Amino acid sequence: MLTAANRATTRCWRSASPGVQVWRCSGSALTAERICVTHPSAMAAHGRGQRTLSFTMETVKGDAPPPSVQQPTPVFPVMEQKPLPLTGGEEAEYLLALKQDFRGAMRSLPCFIQPLVTNRDVERYSDKYNRSEQMDKLLDWAPGEAPPTADWKRFPRELRVHVRKPARDSVSAAVQSPPPPQMKKKGVKDKEEVLLKLESLEKKEEQETSEDEEGETKKKQEEEEAEGEEEYDEEEFEEETDYIMSYFDNGEDFGGDSDDNMDEAIY
Amino acid sequence: MTAQEVRLCGLLLQEHFGEVVEKVGTHLLKSGAQNLRTIIHETGLSVDLVKKSLCVLVQHGATTFSSGRKGPGSPTEYHTSCDRILRILRYPRYIYTAKTLYGDTGELIIEELLQRGHTTMSSTVKTVADRLTQNMAEGRTMDYTEVSLTFSKLVETHFLQRCPPLPGVGNKDSSAPSETPATPGTPAAPVNTAPPTPESFPECYKVPSVTLIGRGKRQLASEDGEEQRSAKRAKMDPETHGDEGIYWQVNFERFHLHFRDQTIISAVANKLDQTSSEIVRTMLRMSEVTTSPMATCTKPLSANEIFRSLPPSYNILRPILDQYLTLLVDDPMEFVGKAGESGGGMFVVNLHRALANLARATLESVVQERFGSRSARIFRLLLRKRHLEQKQVEDFAMIPAKEAKDMLYTLLSQNLVQLQEIPKTPDYAPSRTFYLYTVNQLPTARMLLQNCYKTVANLIERRLFETKESKRLLEKSQRIEAILASLQASGAEPEQLTEVEEMITAPEKQQLDTLRLHINKLDSAENQVDETIFLLESYINSTNASS
Repeated sequence: MLTAANRATTRCWRSASPGVQVWRCSGSALTAERICVTHPSAMAAHGRGQRTLSFTMETVKGDAPPPSVQQPTPVFPVMEQKPLPLTGGEEAEYLLALKQDFRGAMRSLPCFIQPLVTNRDVERYSDKYNRSEQMDKLLDWAPGEAPPTADWKRFPRELRVHVRKPARDSVSAAVQSPPPPQMKKKGVKDKEEVLLKLESLEKKEEQETSEDEEGETKKKQEEEEAEGEEEYDEEEFEEETDYIMSYFDNGEDFGGDSDDNMDEAIY
Repeated sequence: MTAQEVRLCGLLLQEHFGEVVEKVGTHLLKSGAQNLRTIIHETGLSVDLVKKSLCVLVQHGATTFSSGRKGPGSPTEYHTSCDRILRILRYPRYIYTAKTLYGDTGELIIEELLQRGHTTMSSTVKTVADRLTQNMAEGRTMDYTEVSLTFSKLVETHFLQRCPPLPGVGNKDSSAPSETPATPGTPAAPVNTAPPTPESFPECYKVPSVTLIGRGKRQLASEDGEEQRSAKRAKMDPETHGDEGIYWQVNFERFHLHFRDQTIISAVANKLDQTSSEIVRTMLRMSEVTTSPMATCTKPLSANEIFRSLPPSYNILRPILDQYLTLLVDDPMEFVGKAGESGGGMFVVNLHRALANLARATLESVVQERFGSRSARIFRLLLRKRHLEQKQVEDFAMIPAKEAKDMLYTLLSQNLVQLQEIPKTPDYAPSRTFYLYTVNQLPTARMLLQNCYKTVANLIERRLFETKESKRLLEKSQRIEAILASLQASGAEPEQLTEVEEMITAPEKQQLDTLRLHINKLDSAENQVDETIFLLESYINSTNASS
């Protein structure tokens, strides 16, 4: 009998649930007859770890069934056997050191992307300049070792962030190339340096938005973001001077203030 | 892509690439292939961050892109799979293997490639030479040719392979003119349903002729030196080496074959003795090139050939070799099989059967460690005898009825043992039905594999939790180390150093030590679980291949 059972290779589902495929067994010899068709929903109920025991055997033998469990198992169940200790040895220690070194090295690589963390405990004046710096760092990364050798050919076109950056730089090179080396040598943050950064940031966003318009239609959210940035920068670049417009007092208000107090002489 | 796999992949991505990539990666894993706009919309991240994360994922081979389902005009779709990300667990093992086979140079080459994903040969050689130079004694530098030689050796033995050139996805000029003309001319964008494997390209293992002349540069400590170096580097970067556009990646499958061979050899050494393991090692070495990765067993080798190829240190006599081979063939683990009588006996190494037996041994040891040796006896019995009634289990295992019943029910509730009913009558009367216990090896192995993934994910989470708990203390100790280092560099007196060291109190030091111990334990536990994962994965893949 049992050897015949070994030949029954398909798994037999629990008979307790309806519509289960079974093998029929007559008294003397095993004949394989399909009795009923499987129900996909019934079979789906037998997921991993959901096997409910009907304990039919125990009811047959007459023993009391074990008490059923009414709550989920504890998070840290008590273990009857203590686990084995870890294998130590030179190889394991070297592998451990390699693993920790690798993790540390990955954190310092450019492919480790941290989102912009805005520490908004106190609103600071330097925020609006720091933000553009951080965006630069975020956008300057490119696949490949250093940005100039980025091989964008291996990536789909839509993933490119800077396409014509070198070309743009060369166009405005006449204006920009003298200031940057001087700025770096002096190491002083002049208004002009900030202005140049804002200019380059605006150009990047302009080219981004132009790319988006060429390509598929982008979400409005992103365009609004870009517009917000551009509005901020436009203020400065209305007349394309080196001076920030809000600092400039063109003296329109000069004469009007002293109308009230005519006692003092006007110098 | 089960829930446990996705959770583990998320944790691995977070540790190695940051939270942004983790968000994008997990989203792709859960929802299948998607295009860029859907990803941006559903993850809620900014466009730039999503683009950058996708670039990182593609660079490291975790994500592939293809033209959309609706034809060449639809937006490109990105598809991530769990397998590649789960390999991150095994990176230390790959690096260590390269070290044992090719020395420090090989180790650093593989480490560079694992860190960067896809790189060119020239950039890898330069970086590795610089790193080696730093560790060498003062005045000595590493030559590029030596590193190139190791690189070529790695390619020859197939541990490294070229990244497959991509069919132009929205990019007509993907085949860059600077590539070597021998590269296969990929057809212009037929819609491939399956991504081409790297091995389908004949140039997969061809080392390009690269002109790399130079020596590694030592990084100078002074700031002037760095400025000069960066200035020089800006001038040197445009120089080309003749291998633009040829990117290399680590060939994980080859490493896996190597690990499999190592496992078989060490299993033979544990079960029999050193000489038998040497014989099996020789057989595997001889069939390295002739065996395909998915082969069930190696090509038959005659005893004469084996005798000739044994390492010279093992000068055993010919009849002794025959006896050893007979012993190996008769061993119940079936590592070696006999395939014929010509040439003094033809022998094969049964790879798939060896993997199955090793997986079975793993399952048995898991049951033994969790439930005790008597439950393990029942488990082994059921594995061998397939189907047994409860009475027969008691008799064969020689365990009293009550305890046997308890153990069987425990195993049944843990899903390690299944119950099969064979009714005698159509009405399933319990008195007229056979209830047979059985163990199915493959589904049990799959279940244990998922348990392993869950284990590793739990270990990582616990480690992150411990680090977060003691974050303040860790930061303080890092600051003090930095202060100490700068003081020592500027030449301070010992009193100052001790004063700074005393800023960490004794209980804090103890706390730090315990923390360090815990983190090391958790890390090496991850490494160990990964060994089990490898064995079970290889077994499951081998059954997939043969079925």
